[in-house]
Amino acid sequence: MLVLAAMTDLTSDSQDNPEQGERSAIGVGRASMVPPFSPVLLGGLLLAPVPDLLLRPLLRAVMAAVAKQHPGMFERLGSYADTVFLIDPVDLPIRFLLQADAERPKLTIAREADTARATAAIRGSLLALIDLLEGRVDGDALFFSRRLLIEGDTEAVVALRNAVDGEEINIIDDILVRAGPLARPARRAGKQLLRLARRAEADMAMLQDALLQPAMERIEAQAAAVDHLRQSMARAGSSRRRRAAKTPVVQE
Amino acid sequence: MATTDAKAESEAILGDLELICPAGTPAALRAAVDAGAEAVYLGFRDETNARNFPGLNFSPEELADGLEYAHARDCMVFVAINTFPRAGAPEAWHRAIDCAADLGVDAVILADIGILDYAARQHPDLRLHLSVQASASNAEAIRFYHEAFGVRRVVLPRVLTVEDIAELNSQIPVETEVFAFGGMCPMAEGRCLLSSYVTGKSPNITGVCSPASHVRYEERGSEMVSRLGDFTINIFQQSDAAGYPTLCKGRFVADGRASYLFEAPTSLNVLPLLPELMAAGVSALKIEGRQRGRAYTAQVVAAFRAAIDACRLGEPIPEMPQLADVTEGQRETSGAYRRAWR
Repeated sequence: MLVLAAMTDLTSDSQDNPEQGERSAIGVGRASMVPPFSPVLLGGLLLAPVPDLLLRPLLRAVMAAVAKQHPGMFERLGSYADTVFLIDPVDLPIRFLLQADAERPKLTIAREADTARATAAIRGSLLALIDLLEGRVDGDALFFSRRLLIEGDTEAVVALRNAVDGEEINIIDDILVRAGPLARPARRAGKQLLRLARRAEADMAMLQDALLQPAMERIEAQAAAVDHLRQSMARAGSSRRRRAAKTPVVQE
Repeated sequence: MATTDAKAESEAILGDLELICPAGTPAALRAAVDAGAEAVYLGFRDETNARNFPGLNFSPEELADGLEYAHARDCMVFVAINTFPRAGAPEAWHRAIDCAADLGVDAVILADIGILDYAARQHPDLRLHLSVQASASNAEAIRFYHEAFGVRRVVLPRVLTVEDIAELNSQIPVETEVFAFGGMCPMAEGRCLLSSYVTGKSPNITGVCSPASHVRYEERGSEMVSRLGDFTINIFQQSDAAGYPTLCKGRFVADGRASYLFEAPTSLNVLPLLPELMAAGVSALKIEGRQRGRAYTAQVVAAFRAAIDACRLGEPIPEMPQLADVTEGQRETSGAYRRAWR
C-alpha cells in the first residue's frame, strides 16, 4: 500500500500555507550548516570585534553601487522588492538583512533580534554567496550539493536568485566604477584577493580532509562493526524464535 | 583514408544537428550564444510558458534586444508559448504569438491545438514547433500536427528509446528535437496532474510545476525536510545530495519502506549516446533548464558544443566530469533512451 507523505508527522501542521499569507520562522538553519574551514572563517574572527558603526557605511556604499549599476534587478524582483532577506554567510560572525526596494535598497547588519524581521533566509559560505551573486555558480547546483540552504519564503528566494543572476553583477567592478584613477589598481588588487581566498579555501578543505581522514576511517570501521553486531543479534533472535516455535508445549 | 571517409560520412549524417539552449534571462541568453548555441529558447514573463517562475523570463523589449544579440551571431531564437489556455481566455497566448511574430523570432514552440490553429492562421510564415507538452510520441499524432497546422518540428517526449526515435523519424515528415541534458520529467508531459493535485497549479495551465510559493525547506538537526503544500515529500540526510521538490521525485512510503517510486533526483545526460542519436536522424538536441543560472547554461552548452563538434569530426566524445556538479541529486541517467531498467 502506498502512503503519500507518510514520512513524517508534518501533515497536520499546515501553518505555512502561503495562500493564507503566513510565514515560516527563520533562524534555525544556521546550526545545521557547518561552516567550511576557510580563510573567511579565520578572517571572520578579526571581524567580530569591529563595531557595526564602521561597517554600516561600507554596506551602504556596496548597496548603492549595485543598485545604481543594476536597476533591472528591482524590476525582476517585482512584488518581492519589499521582502526582507536574511543573508547568512555561515563562515562569518555577522549576518545581513537585505531589502531590495528600488527606491531605498538596504543592506544592514542583522543582530539576533533582527532575524525575526526576515521572511526568507539564504545561507552558505561567503565565497559561495559571492559566486552566486556574480553568476559564477548555478544556485540549483549549490543547493543540490547542500552548500546552499534556504529557509522561509521559497518563492521570494527564487525571485531574488533569478533577479540577481540576470544582472551580471561584479561586486568589485560595481563598487569601483566611480573610483577614478584608483579604480584599476584597486580592481586588480580586489580580484587577486578573491582569487587567493578561493585557492586558500580549496587548499584548506584538502588539509581538513587529510586531518580528518584517520578519524573518519575509525568511525566507519566502528559503524561497520556495530552493523555487524546488529545483524548477528537479529540472526540469533530469529533462530531462538524458530527453536521456541519447534519446542512442543506440554499441557498439564 | 579510412578516417577521412568516416569523417565525411559522419559530417553528411550529422551536418544539420542543432544545439538548442535554455535562457531564463537576457544574461543567460548571451551566455548560451557565446558558448556555442545554434538556437536559444525562452519564454515571456507570464503564464504562457511552462517556466513561469518569479524573476524569470523576458519582456518584449528584452526579447527584441536578445534577438538582435543572437541574430548578429548567427544564433536563432525560439519562443516557448507552450501552456494550455483556460477555456474562453486565450488572449494572453494570442498576444504572445503576435508579439513573437512581430519581433521576428525564428520559431514558436506550442502545445495547444487552439493556439497552434491561431498561429497557423494569423502568421502563416511563422515556423511552428510542437512542444514536448503536447506529448506527441507516435507517427499518427505527429502527422496530424503537421497536416493540420504545418508544424515543422516536434520536441519528443522523454519516453522513447533511440530505436523508437529512429523508427519514428522514418515515418514522419517533420524534424525531431530530443532532450539531451537536464531535469527529467518521468510523467506524460502536458498531462501530469501531480502538481495540480497538491498545489492547484501545474506546468500545463499556469506554467509551474511544484511552484516555489508552495515549497518550504526546513532544517531539523542534521536533516533537511522538503515540503510541497501540506505534504512532506522528502527528507535529506546531511550526506544526501538534494533534488527538486516535485512529487515525482518524492520519497514515498510503500509497504513500510521509503523509496523513490517514480524517479530519483537525477538529471538526463545523453553525451555517451550522441552518435546513436545523430544516426537516428535527430535534428536537434535540447538542453533543459531555463530556470537555472547562467553559469549552468554556459557550462552545459560549452560541454555539448564540444561534444557535438567532436562527433562531427568523427572524434571520440571528450570526458565532461564537470557536468556532474550541475546535475540534480548529483546523479545522471540516460533515461528512456536506453531503458536500462528493462
